[in-house]
Formats: sequence, C-alpha cells, structure tokens
Amino acid sequence: MSLYIDIPEDKEQLPSLKTGQGKLAWMASVDHKQLGIMYLWLALVFFVIGGLEAMMIRAQLALPNNDLISPELYNQIFTMHGTTMIFLVLMPASIGLGTYLIPLMIGANEMAFPRLNAFSFWMTCLGGMLLYFSFFAGGAPDAGWFNYAPLSENNYSSTQGVDYFLVGLILTGIGSIGAALNFITTVLTLRSPDIKLNMLPLFVWMIFVNAFLMLAAFPLLNAGLFMMLIDRQFDAHFFLASTGGSAILWQHFFWAFGHPEVYIIALPAFGIISEVIPVFSRKPIYGYKFVAASSIAIALLSYSVWAHHMFTVGLSNTVNAFFAISSMLIGIPTGLKIINWIGTMHKGSIRLTTPMLWAMAFLICFTFGGLTGISFAIVPITWQLTDTYYLVAHFHYVFLGGSLFGLFAGIYYWFPKMSGRMLCSKLGKWHFWLFVLGFNLTFFLQHVLGVLGMPRRIFTYPDLPYWKVLNMLATLGAVMMFVGMAIFFWNIYKTLKKPRTVGENPWDAWTLEWATPSPPELKNFDEIPRVHSRRPLWDINNPDNPDKKLN
Amino acid sequence: MTNHYLLQATDVELIANLFNYFLIVAGIIFALVIFYTFFYLIRYGAKRRPETPSQVEGSERVELILAIIATTITAVFVYLTINTMEKVQDIPENPKPFLEITGHQWWWEAKYPESGVITANQIYIPTGKKILLKLTSADVVHSWWVPELGRKMDMIAGVNNYMWMYAEKEGEYLGTCSEFCGVQHARMRIRVTALNPKDFEAWQQKQLLPVVTSTDALFLEGKQLFEEKTCTNCHAINGTEFKQNIGPNLTHFASRKRFLADMKENNEANLRAWLTNPQAVKSGVKMPNFILSDSEIDALVAYINGLK
Repeated sequence: MSLYIDIPEDKEQLPSLKTGQGKLAWMASVDHKQLGIMYLWLALVFFVIGGLEAMMIRAQLALPNNDLISPELYNQIFTMHGTTMIFLVLMPASIGLGTYLIPLMIGANEMAFPRLNAFSFWMTCLGGMLLYFSFFAGGAPDAGWFNYAPLSENNYSSTQGVDYFLVGLILTGIGSIGAALNFITTVLTLRSPDIKLNMLPLFVWMIFVNAFLMLAAFPLLNAGLFMMLIDRQFDAHFFLASTGGSAILWQHFFWAFGHPEVYIIALPAFGIISEVIPVFSRKPIYGYKFVAASSIAIALLSYSVWAHHMFTVGLSNTVNAFFAISSMLIGIPTGLKIINWIGTMHKGSIRLTTPMLWAMAFLICFTFGGLTGISFAIVPITWQLTDTYYLVAHFHYVFLGGSLFGLFAGIYYWFPKMSGRMLCSKLGKWHFWLFVLGFNLTFFLQHVLGVLGMPRRIFTYPDLPYWKVLNMLATLGAVMMFVGMAIFFWNIYKTLKKPRTVGENPWDAWTLEWATPSPPELKNFDEIPRVHSRRPLWDINNPDNPDKKLN
Repeated sequence: MTNHYLLQATDVELIANLFNYFLIVAGIIFALVIFYTFFYLIRYGAKRRPETPSQVEGSERVELILAIIATTITAVFVYLTINTMEKVQDIPENPKPFLEITGHQWWWEAKYPESGVITANQIYIPTGKKILLKLTSADVVHSWWVPELGRKMDMIAGVNNYMWMYAEKEGEYLGTCSEFCGVQHARMRIRVTALNPKDFEAWQQKQLLPVVTSTDALFLEGKQLFEEKTCTNCHAINGTEFKQNIGPNLTHFASRKRFLADMKENNEANLRAWLTNPQAVKSGVKMPNFILSDSEIDALVAYINGLK
C-alpha cells in the first residue's frame, strides 16, 4: 500500500523554492507548504495595513471633537479595517495554517487538489488587492464591513468604493470555497490508512468541520454580493425599498453568512488551542470526543443564530425568541470546551512557553468575549447595547482574544516546523505582555464606554463625562499593542537570519508533522510511522505507556 | 413589595435588572475560569511537577454534569429574556402613536399626530406618560436610541416600527443615532426634553400658533430671499405657502435651542456660519453652499430668527 499519493505532475518537477527554481516558486508553486506560508505572509502584510488603520482610528478618537481625520476618510478607514481584518487577515491566516499542516498531520504528501489550492490563494490575494485598489480609484468602500443597504446603494454612494468591496469579496469568497473543498477532500481521502476519522488531531478535525461551514456560508455571501453588484451596476433594486426591494433582505443574506463566519474564524483557533494546551501540559486533551462533537454542534447551531444581529430591526417577539434561544444554546458547547481545555491542565506538568502563554491569554480573553456574547443573545440587552462600544469591545475580545491569540499560539508553536528556527522566547514574551495588556486596556474600557452611551462608527464625539479619559486610555492601549507587534516583526526578522538549528520535534509533541524534518522536504514523508492512537509520536517515545489502540 | 416594584418598573429598569442578573452570573463564571487557569498554572507548573503526569483522557460523567449545569443556567436566562422582551416590546394591534419620528441624513423629523405639531430635532415629550413612538426612515437605516428613556429601534425606509418611551422626571435626555448612516452619523445626536404635562401642552399650543410675521424691512427681505434662493424647495414653514418637506421644517425655528441634530447651539453666529457654508460646518450634508453675500445672510438670519 502506498503511503503517499503521487502529485499528477510529479515527473516534471513542480516549481518550488526547494527545486532550485528560486523566486518563481512564490508565483507558481502548488506545494501546500509553500502556499501555506504564502497565506501567512499575505495575512501578515494585511495585518500591518489593518493595524495602521486601527491606529488612525485610535488617533482620531483620542480626543473629543478631534478633526485630525475627515469624516469621509474616517468612514473609509473603519470600513477597510474591519473588512481587512476579517477577510484578509484572520481568514487567510487560519486557512494558511490549515493548508500547511493538514497534509503533514494526516500523513499525506499534498492536498487533494494542489492546483485548486494555488488558485484559492491567488483569488484571495487578488480580492485583497482589488479591495485596496479602491483607494486609487476615487475612494475606498465606506458603508461599514457589513455594508448595509441602502447606504451601500448608488443613491448614497459618492464613489465606486462599494463596487470594489463587492468584487473583492466575491473573489476572496471563491478562494475560501476552493480552500474548503480542498480541506474536506484531503481529510476524507488522503489520510494515512492507519488514521481513522476519530483519530484525527483536533486541529485537523476543527479545520475539517470548519470547511463544511465555509462551504455553506460563502455561497450565501457571494449570492448577496452579486445581487448588490447587480443593484449598483444595472439598477435591479433588490435591496431598495423605494422600488419594491427590501433593505432587511440584505441583512438576512449578510448575517446568514456573517454569523457562521464568526465560527469559521474561531474554530481554527479552537483547533490550535486543542493542540497547544495538551502538548505543554504533557497530557492528552481532556474529553477528546466532547471537544470534537461539540464543534459539530457549534457548526450546526451557527446557522440558526444570524438574526441576533437584527434584534433591533423590529422582528416579532416569536422570531426574536427563536434566535435568542439558539444563540444561547450555542454558548453551551463553546463554554464547555473552555472547561475541557482547563481540565487538560489539571494535574499536568505545565511548561509556560510562548505558545502556551498565548493559549492562556486565549482562555481568559475568549471566555470574556464569549460571556459578553451571551449578553447579546438576551434580546432586551441587545435593545440597549447593540451598536455601541460595548459591542465593539465584545467582538474584539472574540476576534483578538479568541482567534488572534489562538493564531499567535499556533505561529509560535509551528514556526520551528515551518522555518527550522525557534522564535526568540524573550522577545516573544515582550510581544505577549505588551499586546495582551494593551489589548485589555483598549477593549475592556470600551465596554464601559458602550454602557455610557457611546455608539460605534462615529468619527468624533462630544466631550461627555468620562468619554475623553476612557478614549485616551483606549488609544494608549492601542499604542502598546503596536509596539508589541513591532517586537514580533523584529523577532521574525532576527530569527529568519539565523541558521536552521531545530530538530524534528523541538516541543516533544505528538502529531505526525513533528515526524518530519524542520522544515519538511518538498515530499513530506518517505515513510510514515505506524499510527495506532491519536498521539503517534507519544506512543513511539513512550513504548511502555502507549495510548489505547484505536485501530 | 418587590413584586409591586417589578410591575411598576419602566422598560429601562427592566432591561437594567436583566443586565445585572447577567453580570452576576457571567462574573461568577469568569472568576472561576480565571481562578482555575492561574491556580493550575501555579499548582501544576513543570518546575513543581517535572515528572510525566498520568495520562488521563477525561471523564464523561464530569462533562455530563457540567452540560446539565450549563443548560440549567441557559434555561433560566431564556425564561428571563422572553419575559422581559414581551413586557418591553408590547405593541397594540392597531398602534396609535403619540409621536412619529422619521430619520433623515442627518436630522430628525418629528410629528405629533394628535395635535398636528411638526418640528425637527428639538423633541419634547410629557413626563409620567408611556409614549408610543412610530419610527421610520426617509433614506438609509437609522436607529433611535435615548438610553435613559427606552430601548433602541431601527428606522428603515418602507417599514414602520413602534416602541415605547417613558420619562419619569423633567429634564433633557441625550441620545444618538446608533446605526451607521453615512458621513455625518457621528453628528446625528438626539436631545429629548421632557416637560411636565402642563408645560408640554403649553409648548404644543405655542408650536401650533401661526408664525409671527413682522413688517421689519430686513425680515421681509429675508422672506423674499428665502423664496428666491430656492430655500423653499426643501424647507417648509407652517402657515406660509412654503410646504416642501425635504429638509427640516423651520416653523418656530427661533424657539429651538440647538440645531443640526444637536450639533450647534442656535444662535446668530452659528446660523451665520451655517448659511455662509454648510459644508464647512457639517461636511456631506444635503444643503448646498448657496454662496450668499453678507447682506443676503443678514436678511436671511433676520427672517429665520424671526420665526418665533
């Protein structure tokens, strides 16, 4: 039985950094590791851009009645900040880690569709570039990242920005759908014959479940985007009430995608945490079955919660009650996962490395974001606090405290595998503390601002009691995060200049990617170790105390 | 007497109570997560326990117990949510609104259907009375939110939404548009003035009086300019032939304390700056710069400030 699949073009070698075709690989490679790294670089570049936009927002809001930035520009900046961070940072970073690691973790040599893999990456990249081209074409989109009709329709737009938004996101959406197809097919067909589905590492499992979410969510978004594009280009009036359309219809389309999207961004981070915490606690994950099954519950429920973004549009109490219940239910599997992660640490032997630090920050900040999320399932609280800074604070706790901290844990954890070099842990700790403390300073206080009545998406605000000092402190926190990120980039730069010194398995981890050289060769595996449990390398390193055989 | 209190509680109090219950439960859960994370980090640190730990894979019993606890808490909050929701969003079959508010980019149009008063931005309500609001929009989606007086509700073109608003005490209540509505969303703020029923009635009666006319030359010149410069294409003034209702209704404009959706105090200097170049005061607004001469502005200010 062959332990790897032949890549169709294997005979005429594919261009890659490792085949001596040098820089061409950055254009033409279909190697999943090369593409995974390219996804991560793409995310990093856009993270810098989106981060600078965030700094502009914080500079403008540092003082009341500030006129540093015009309202027209401010609206473009916050729209681009949100769109960039969701579609061009958190998405490609999660997909990138998946693309790099899934074949390695299941004992495969490639993704199922290597060319589709490259196509997906380039679609995402092209979408991002088109989106940013809008700045040179008269103006960036300025109707917010959820682009509500009719503000986003022709009558209320003075630039082509929204058109670039629509076309750009349609392209990244196509890329995401391609990536999802690829993940599903790869996991279903290319696993080492030893690995049954219930033996998948949890990171692979989460990406697998996530791919089904993406496969169903992105077509919805793209349908909506196309309808709005037809509205804007050919006057179709799908979302214009004055001519028989419905502004609320757009909201349904967008959030039916938008809420699954939150989990699409969160599940990969859950997967990372489910790898990092066990390895550094020296114990298997607490309740593997529960963590795996609860992800399916989350995926299914996430399709029936979208209207909790719309509790103020005037839906009936019956409809509100349905979406309130489903939104609260989704908190149960998510909340219990946190207990599983903490349970994994119980009676462990915990090594507080940089990835583990990020995982701990994830546990606390994501819990906080999850809890404030529950408050938005409680309909009457939404009636007061939605679209205020309390909401802004909530979703930053989910997206940064959850997804981004998880991704940082993953990057520090797998960086030695990808580059053959260990990121400096001292600089890593500086990055960690500055970023985490700055993050909490900025966003914790914003909950208070929201309760005090400050709405989101305002380019300036009157000098009401406490608003000034809280906003100033929030800006200070943003500066701390900015410095932390500068240290992170310096760390990457410094580390990449050093020679490769890391062995196969620097963390003494358990999954198959750690059975390859760091970084892996173009062909991942010449031979794969036999796999009998969820932790093949544990079994090899602890022959006297192996895990229970599952096959 | 807790029950009695709850029966009497206003919408704002009901929601605040619910938020407090949530804070207590969420606070306890969060404290437990922080405690166990730090406790385990310290107690089970590798320095203290360098040996390989026992490879426990979890306990289904514990998972089940925790799932039951979580479901119970959820059930309690589902009950509280639905209960509060039905009290707050309790709109009669054929709603007869006391006040109709229409959101515009970026100002508020207000009509009192019972009395027939029409005004803009400066909104008065009587105290001690639950007021039914009808909300809609003339253009993009806006959202009405005065946190101390009630819930928020979106204003959507083609849709009539209803909500209750209640002021116990006299005073001024600040609010804001809370759905992003374009360039000047930040300056679409609300100021609601609650008056005791007697004063409110007096205010209404005053608003219903025909506009004062003056024989002052400058006033009349302003009136003529108001027509010639096409101000009348957008602005209505009740009791005159100016009836277009696109911009704010300017009847009794001089009686308003602030203008431009609570952005500026209504005084001569601000009005002058506004007429000189609206775009410099509030960029993006629908009122164009009419490039008026100083003497024209003098006349227009005299006219508009004469609309008492």
